[in-house]
Amino acid sequence: MEMILVIILTYLIYRLSKTAYGKWSFPLFHPLLLAPILLIFLIFMVDMSATQYMHNSKWLTNLLGPATVAFAVPIYKNLAIIKKYIGTIIVSITFGTLVAIFSTFGLSKLLHLKYDFLISILPRSITTPIAIEVSKEIGGLPTLTTVFVIITGVIGGIVGPTVIKSLAIKTPIAKGLALGMGAHGVGTNKAMEYGKQEATFSSLAMIFAALITLIWGAVIIPPLMNMNIHHIL
Amino acid sequence: MKLGVIIIQVLFLYLFLFLGAAVKEIIPLPIPASMFGLFLLFLALCLKMIKLEWVEKGANWLLAELLLFFIPSAVGVVNYDEILSVQGAEIVGLIGVSTIIVMGMTALTAEKIMGRKGGKQQWR
Repeated sequence: MEMILVIILTYLIYRLSKTAYGKWSFPLFHPLLLAPILLIFLIFMVDMSATQYMHNSKWLTNLLGPATVAFAVPIYKNLAIIKKYIGTIIVSITFGTLVAIFSTFGLSKLLHLKYDFLISILPRSITTPIAIEVSKEIGGLPTLTTVFVIITGVIGGIVGPTVIKSLAIKTPIAKGLALGMGAHGVGTNKAMEYGKQEATFSSLAMIFAALITLIWGAVIIPPLMNMNIHHIL
Repeated sequence: MKLGVIIIQVLFLYLFLFLGAAVKEIIPLPIPASMFGLFLLFLALCLKMIKLEWVEKGANWLLAELLLFFIPSAVGVVNYDEILSVQGAEIVGLIGVSTIIVMGMTALTAEKIMGRKGGKQQWR
């Protein structure tokens, strides 16, 4: 009973903030910012802990599984476009994922992040379900990774249009790839505002970024973290 | 009626998720079950084993409401005191700077490749 109530409440608040964001597109009304803040406030009022809330709403989190599977549909529908631009997509996204891992690693070292945070933040620029898997593989904390992925999405959704504008990016493919690479699902959501092509390239970027990061999770991240430990010792 | 179609199609997508989990048992690669599920569905669509209409509505709904499924985890942020402290502000700054670099580099790379392609076409 509590579960159903929590899910309905979460859905209603999500709808509310999505409508508000759609109407005013004020960054702080982003559904991943406004909705959680309202919910944290609400569960605090009814004396429910965040852990209990997460348990009660686990079916929503669970839908990330079939949602990842669902990406097969846009890939299948855009097969012709993928074949045409496969080179551009692979080169841009391979470079993008490397920039994501190394810039995050470098900046984290600069801030002297503790080990748990450092390893959990590395897969932050890819879609949550895959980021969680990469995090598990490399020895990070999946919940912490989820949080970093979400922060990345919210920030990416806000700064994305500014980056595109200030670099005078013209082609839909470059706009879409940048949004999907930099801000996964949230970026793809933003790309929908630009147009169908941008949204397609953004979801492709997100899928390819996830796949390529899976490889980096096995090949680049472990030696990077080892190097890190030796450095400390 | 429309809701019923979506529910059935989402359940159908769950079936592929479970198939993906089964494949993961057989192939011990560090790839998540959902990714195997994605490949299997893609393969099934390409081989015309299933029709696009069988999954399209459910898939579109899941992808359109993707942000909803992140909300419970976002609420979980309050379990990490450090995120709400000074270190948290630094991390947000780090992610912001890194994301700007990632987006900028990706966009410029793609734009450059496209520009070259466009240039070649003009020469022809």
